[in-house]
Amino acid sequence: MNSFSQLLQITRYEWFTAIRSRRAMVILLLYMAAAICTMNFSINALQKMEQELVKLLQLPETEEVGVVSKTLWKSKPFQRIMKEVSRDNNVYDDLVGKHPVELIFAWLVFFYTPLLVVLVSANRISDDIGSGSIRYVAFRSSRFTWSFGKFLGQAGMIGAALLLSGIGAYIVALIRLHGTTFELLTNIFVWSLRAWIYSIPFLGLAMGLSHLTRSGSKATILGILSISGCFVISAGAHFTKGASGWKSIFAYLATVVPDTHRFFLWRNSAAAVATGATWMITLALCYLFLGYLAFRRRDI
Amino acid sequence: MTNAVTTTDLVKKYGSTRALNGLTISIPNYAVTGLVGANGAGKTTWMMSVAGFLRTNSGQINLLNSGPFKPEIHCGRISILPQDSALPEESYPLETLVHYARLQGLGKSAALKTAKDILTEVHLADRMSSTIRSLSHGMRKRVMIAQCFIGFPELILLDEPLSGLDPKEVANMRNFILKRGKAQTIVISSHNLNDIELLCDYVAFFKQGKSASLTTVAEITNKSGLLTYALTGSPGSMKALGALLPECTFTLNQRSNELSCLFKPSLMPAAKLNATLIPHLLQSTEIITITSGATLENQIMSEF
Repeated sequence: MNSFSQLLQITRYEWFTAIRSRRAMVILLLYMAAAICTMNFSINALQKMEQELVKLLQLPETEEVGVVSKTLWKSKPFQRIMKEVSRDNNVYDDLVGKHPVELIFAWLVFFYTPLLVVLVSANRISDDIGSGSIRYVAFRSSRFTWSFGKFLGQAGMIGAALLLSGIGAYIVALIRLHGTTFELLTNIFVWSLRAWIYSIPFLGLAMGLSHLTRSGSKATILGILSISGCFVISAGAHFTKGASGWKSIFAYLATVVPDTHRFFLWRNSAAAVATGATWMITLALCYLFLGYLAFRRRDI
Repeated sequence: MTNAVTTTDLVKKYGSTRALNGLTISIPNYAVTGLVGANGAGKTTWMMSVAGFLRTNSGQINLLNSGPFKPEIHCGRISILPQDSALPEESYPLETLVHYARLQGLGKSAALKTAKDILTEVHLADRMSSTIRSLSHGMRKRVMIAQCFIGFPELILLDEPLSGLDPKEVANMRNFILKRGKAQTIVISSHNLNDIELLCDYVAFFKQGKSASLTTVAEITNKSGLLTYALTGSPGSMKALGALLPECTFTLNQRSNELSCLFKPSLMPAAKLNATLIPHLLQSTEIITITSGATLENQIMSEF
């Protein structure tokens, strides 16, 4: 069996075993529940906002009021929220006119995905090293094939989780709002796919760090600390934009954190999304490879 | 005799401790070799180093005449039952073994057939699709042993293979290993010297990771030069025995009434010895059993 076939075999096995693990099951269910609850809560809030808007603008009450429609874009507070969320005028322009439910879902998955990744995947390599189960594979394939196969298997697992949460969110919209269309489901799937691409560098980071320890708990803590570090750098870069001196270090560091490049994935243009995807995949492979380098020759 | 593994001046350090301290040993091909030694003698470390799990500090490993372990060369040619290593808890025995077989290069249907056959051989046909988590310790151990024999590897390293199995399964596993030992090179590390004696053709003594002498089991137990007679009573005067067979040396364990007779088969064949000695003994007592050689355990314990 060549290395590529071994890679596929390890990926497939990892996916099947990961999806059956108790930890993954619990976290996936919690994630789905969080997606459903947040969607439900957000629909309540937006319905109120829309009704207030109709009263304020003295618009004629139609059947559409309170269904959370694109009317919301007429609301200044809503526009302010979206501007704040998007941080960038180009991104904001691309978002204008999109269905609010779609945007809630997008915000939700982009916000929660890094944590989901760390909680589900950070322990997968360290647990295998700690329990010794890697020893059953280490003489059957190369360590690189094993590491990369585990990474791909986990990427598949995260993809499945995002799709499931997308379906959950769509069902909530279908129940709560009249006039929910199939187009919304398609758009939710597209956002799931974008969030999946966004999850990949965090997965690379979590699994790269997972190579460094034999304890799943330590790997999870390392993962949480590292994603927190990423957000601190990203926030630091945002607030020190154009600064000189030591503060300019944030701008350099921000280049190697996923958060900086995420808004490429929010754009409409395929070129921007492709640029974002390239950044994400490159960062993921760099993080993973750095972890692998430490693991490559260590005792198992 | 060609060797399956040769290690020369192997050194493995854990901090300031030298688990292997210049170990040189050759493991013969197509035989079952037992590794024997006190705790910390380096048996497990040696196995793990050979399988490529540990990075040695110095020395050479020649595995199947193709240098140290490299996945691209040795994948599917060696296997190991590592000590204290768990199988993935959420997986199923059949699924796991098929996975390992596929990694070793077996096709889909061949992998499935091999995995099913081997699980049946280790008496787990009815638990193929239970999760590993739900299996008992002994059952997991059998799955671990089974994975070693998937795809017919040339060299199999087994670290404490029979510990934790019930007596019936120990007997089954012994037969299983003995059957395979004729066609594959098997190395067994065990503290159970009875297992080593029953299973192995050769024994390697590990001493503080420094030296490992390889000897045949028959040589150690002196199968051809020692007879022990279990008697119901005293065999009479030892002087009389010495006079009867001056080429032999007799020792009597008075507590168990066991008479040991050390002899040189070239000077006194066992048949001739028995023809002279047995009638003499029967004049004063009865003989319960006659066994040839000493047990490996006795010999090794006397060495320690």
